[in-house]
Amino acid sequence: MGFWEVTQSLIAGLGNTCLLFALTLVLALPLGLVISFGSMSKFKPLAYLVKVFVWIIRGVPLMLQVIIIYYVPGMMFGTPILSRFSAVVVAFVINYACYFSEIYRGGIESIPKGQYEAGKVLGLTRTQVFFKIVLMQVVKRIMAPMSNEVITLVKDTALARVIMIVEIIQAAQNFAAYGLMWPLFYTAVFYLAFVGILTLLFGYLEKKLDYYKA
Amino acid sequence: MPLLEVKDLRKSFGETEVLKGVSFTLEGGEVLSIIGASGGGKTTLLRCLNFLETPDSGEILVNGERVFYIDEQTGKPVTVPGVQNIMGLVFQQFNLFPQYSVKENLTLAPILHAKSDKAKYRQNKKEIHDEIEQQADEMLEMVGLSEKADKYPCFLSGGQQQRVAIARALMLSPEVLCFDEPTSSLDPELTGEVLKVIKDLKSPERAMVVVTHELEFARAVSDKVIFMADGVIDEMGTPDEVLVNPKSEKTIAFLNVPKGY
Ligand SMILES: Nc1ncnc2c1ncn2[C@@H]1O[C@H](COP(=O)(O)OP(=O)(O)OP(=O)(O)O)[C@@H](O)[C@H]1O
Ligand SMILES: [Mg+2]
Repeated sequence: MGFWEVTQSLIAGLGNTCLLFALTLVLALPLGLVISFGSMSKFKPLAYLVKVFVWIIRGVPLMLQVIIIYYVPGMMFGTPILSRFSAVVVAFVINYACYFSEIYRGGIESIPKGQYEAGKVLGLTRTQVFFKIVLMQVVKRIMAPMSNEVITLVKDTALARVIMIVEIIQAAQNFAAYGLMWPLFYTAVFYLAFVGILTLLFGYLEKKLDYYKA
Repeated sequence: MPLLEVKDLRKSFGETEVLKGVSFTLEGGEVLSIIGASGGGKTTLLRCLNFLETPDSGEILVNGERVFYIDEQTGKPVTVPGVQNIMGLVFQQFNLFPQYSVKENLTLAPILHAKSDKAKYRQNKKEIHDEIEQQADEMLEMVGLSEKADKYPCFLSGGQQQRVAIARALMLSPEVLCFDEPTSSLDPELTGEVLKVIKDLKSPERAMVVVTHELEFARAVSDKVIFMADGVIDEMGTPDEVLVNPKSEKTIAFLNVPKGY
């Protein structure tokens, strides 16, 4: 089995890795904002409920959550509800949304009260104040922790193997059956390239937001 | 009929009663200065007037119409919608929006207000924007900051930031413009430029309420001065009455406080 053949298999696996990465980001970024609103709700029972939920999701290994979401509905209803890939996406979205929600919450709570009050005194609604005044300042403040999470997500996609999704690591491991170990090490190149691109992207975004200090 | 009438305003935070029945009136075009020792409730009063705090009881009338009152039946406080536009507030800490340029700070709220009338906005989008921008240019000229229009607040001095904040408040043409210690977080050499702007704003078009520790300034611009202590108006009158010939012992003590050095 040659280098080119291995590369092709790994790229096929990388497809799943990228798809899982992209879907998780697209869905978990807005969901995290909703969860952060829940955890900051003035309606205390809701805030506590959300906090307990976040505690559970952050407290249980993601691998276990993937397994639970895939297998438990099957055990309860006799037949699996979600396809393997959907189950992984659901688990990842919930898990990452909870981490994001905490980052958002930290960012939102760090915005001075005066910003809200200035908006209110100018006759803006709460929604306008949030989306036109607060949100952009939050984005700037959470860039660094967000880039950390997003880079972690790249590597967490490997957990999908646990329910037999063939992402890049699994694709490499399939060669182990033929006694080939090097494809596994070779995957590091792909991860490094992926993370390298993200690092450049975040660097660019941070620079773009650097036009003002706060 | 007075432009603004405040009747028996009360406000507590938990156990502490901060406003213990404050009443006064303000005529159109008048400048009212509020002085008093720290913790007397001056900020709380301004925040109530601008609906950042909800008073526990009392009434606020604008042009004879109640804009804030306690509903007799439910006993709940009522704030008439839209009254925010009557009042304006300039904060001690400026509170400019850092991600927007000076000019955008001025135009943000007027544009959002214009957008709330969707049909009208869509039809006259260009004219509306032109008009708001032109008004912003005029306001910046008024506070002497035309050349800073495209700068971001973080690159301005404190005095310049406060002048932007004043221009921003003026964009909505408030009938009553309030200032909460507008120069207290400024270096002494920047105080003058801000006070001069405020002084120049005196006009029949708007009344102003200025909380300040600048007694000479208060004497020069005010039509009326209030001395507040412990949540009540201890003395009220013309600048000369309150600042030069005070009658209340607390006012006399306050004015004669030896500077702490
Ligand atoms: N949100 C709040 N919660 C609890 N107590 C408050 C709150 N806001 C103000 N107070 C208290 O109310 C009292 C009056 O405060 P206020 O800020 O109105 O005084 P002030 O006259 O503006 O004083 P200063 O000259 O220091 O600005 C103070 O004792 C303050 O601690
Ligand atoms: Mg104060």
